[in-house]
Amino acid sequence: MSEHMIWLIPGLPLIAFLVNGLVIRPFVKSDIPRISGYIGIAAIMGSLILSILAGLDVFDAPDHRIEFVGYSLINITNFSLTLNMGILLDPLTALMLIVVSSVSLMVLIYSQGYMSGDANYTRYFAFISLFASSMLGLVIANNLLILFVFWELVGISSYLLIGFWYNRPAAAAAAKKAFIVTRIGDLGFLIAILFIFNQIGTLDIAAIHENVNTHVLSGAALTWAALGIFAGAAGKSAQFPLHVWLPDAMEGPTPVSALIHAATMVAAGVFLVARFFFMFEESADALRVVAIIGAITAVAAALLGVVMFDIKRVLAYSTISQLGYMMMALGVGAYGAAIFHLFNHAFFKALLFLGSGSVNHATGTFDMRQMGGLRRYMPWTTATFIIGTLSLSGIPPFAGFWSKDEILSDAFHVGTSIGDIVFWCGLIGAGLTAFYMMRATLLTFFGDYKGGAKDEHGSHEHPHESPWVMVFPMILLAIPSTLSWLVNTPWSHDLSHFLGAHSIKFNPTVAALSIGVASLGFIAAYGGYRASWYSPERISKSIGPIYTFISRKYYMDELYESIFVKNVLYRGIVTGLAYLDTRFVDRIINNIGWFGRNIGEAFKLAQTGHTQAAAAVLSLGLLTIYLAFFAYRDFIMGGNS
Amino acid sequence: MIDFMPNLNHFLTLSAILFTIGLFGALTKRNLIVILMSVEIMLNGINIALVAFANYTIVAISGHVFALFVITVAAAEVAIGLALIIAVFRTRDTIDLRNINLLKW
Repeated sequence: MSEHMIWLIPGLPLIAFLVNGLVIRPFVKSDIPRISGYIGIAAIMGSLILSILAGLDVFDAPDHRIEFVGYSLINITNFSLTLNMGILLDPLTALMLIVVSSVSLMVLIYSQGYMSGDANYTRYFAFISLFASSMLGLVIANNLLILFVFWELVGISSYLLIGFWYNRPAAAAAAKKAFIVTRIGDLGFLIAILFIFNQIGTLDIAAIHENVNTHVLSGAALTWAALGIFAGAAGKSAQFPLHVWLPDAMEGPTPVSALIHAATMVAAGVFLVARFFFMFEESADALRVVAIIGAITAVAAALLGVVMFDIKRVLAYSTISQLGYMMMALGVGAYGAAIFHLFNHAFFKALLFLGSGSVNHATGTFDMRQMGGLRRYMPWTTATFIIGTLSLSGIPPFAGFWSKDEILSDAFHVGTSIGDIVFWCGLIGAGLTAFYMMRATLLTFFGDYKGGAKDEHGSHEHPHESPWVMVFPMILLAIPSTLSWLVNTPWSHDLSHFLGAHSIKFNPTVAALSIGVASLGFIAAYGGYRASWYSPERISKSIGPIYTFISRKYYMDELYESIFVKNVLYRGIVTGLAYLDTRFVDRIINNIGWFGRNIGEAFKLAQTGHTQAAAAVLSLGLLTIYLAFFAYRDFIMGGNS
Repeated sequence: MIDFMPNLNHFLTLSAILFTIGLFGALTKRNLIVILMSVEIMLNGINIALVAFANYTIVAISGHVFALFVITVAAAEVAIGLALIIAVFRTRDTIDLRNINLLKW
């Protein structure tokens, strides 16, 4: 496939964004401009087809690698700075292209139903096309700086989509929070980019790889560069302690949550670490940091998922926890397992989010305490949601089991203390995941219906199944949620070989342990929320302070708010800057103005209105210049004749 | 028998003298018409220099053409200048430059 065809992969959704934003929205007037949805869907479908073709090309290419140097954007020879906007296709890229475009396609189809009747239908499809475009561009970029540009585009489109209902204060605040928190990580990423350029003078990914292989970039410098990249990844992938933005990001429309905050955008961080895995591999310290942060995130976020009552927040913390899984897999060197989990997770998490959106469509709320018994009204949603739950909880033969098991086996076989920590954290996380997913399923779909939201939109006394256009993508996503593991079965490891990663033999002990832990989680949830063997309320009361600590999200929002924002930022930096501004910058400006005015007062006296005086001064001036010129030529330069 | 052959320097000297006389008049006289006349003298001084250069240096007629342009422009300028002077006289009843000094702070 030619270079231009590959550029069309991000190009088509970009065109859809421009058409929707610049043509349809201002000029096509209709109550529900369905045309914008069709444009977006057609564009992403084109991207999907091209992605599959590109994937096949990569499969056939020697070393599974295609690179186009591309267009030269900047070429400053004095600083030996060249910047090419090119394409690097490798197995990781091919996989991400297909995941992003296929999940996007499902979400866009679903959005037609979910967003129907929204006044800003066209704006929604414009933004979501922009998001798909920037994510696809991020994946294929061959240059760190171009990658960073797309990275920031992903950030801005997520800001636009989280704050899509910007007249709701919570949504506006969540959008701001997401943007600012990820920006903190991006600062580290940007520093790493500049540092890498300073060290080796290039930002081309292949060249960086070469420099790392030949140990031009090594030792402490390599570790710091890797950690900077990881900081960016931690922000985008919501790793502890930068995870606080993701649950709030649920204020956006649910399909957006499915696409951005479950399947693709948050995977960008994992992708970034995977892309630069050659750097992490050379630095044991960086790997250790990745593993520890991933393990903390996996367990801490899973614990939060247990106490939430908002179904989307449960899923949000589950996403954070699963991203922690991927990070800790990368941290113990299980590259293939991490990417495998990313691949599976994209499908079943998108499915679960779409399911929660479908539930919201029927009941008008996300609060699970107002749901219950929906399986009688929404059979398709129930069935697909349960498939997603089983997959996420790691029950064979669903997809989630195989990748989670591979991560655990890899960690088990590393044999270092880090490997053991990751293994046990992974097991605890698996148990918690099974518990909160079963809890969510039971509260939502089983028991008696509790009436849904009671608001101005009328009652939701009689919930009904969502329209076909919403159910259909869920069914389509349920298929890979069950079967996507077939690309990397424990006996063939096709995906790992394709990615060039090592693979590990299926370990029955680990598999049995993980199934056992997941079943324990299921039984515990069943006992608490269905069979009333014990009362979850009583337990949460009896461990009062601990429960409060967890349900307040470890007080991290309060910590950031009162310590960083109020004291460090506001009292410290902002007040200092304001002092500097009023006392220093403003004073300089005022004095310059005062000086100019007074100089003017002095010089205006020369303007007497006597024309001849002015002409005399002019003539004298001309004469002076004339004489000065000749004096210079004859006496200083030594004359010319 | 006059064996005086003027060279470039003679013409330039004449040009400079005429120019200086004109400048002196323009800077010292009170009457606007006299000032206009002085400016004409300055222009003619320049014309002499232009023609002299064209004659004594490179074989080209650009100097002559330039001088013709200066004469043309000067003619137009005299027409406008006199019209302005009449306009000033009609509004202020004087053409003494000492009294025409409104353009100041």
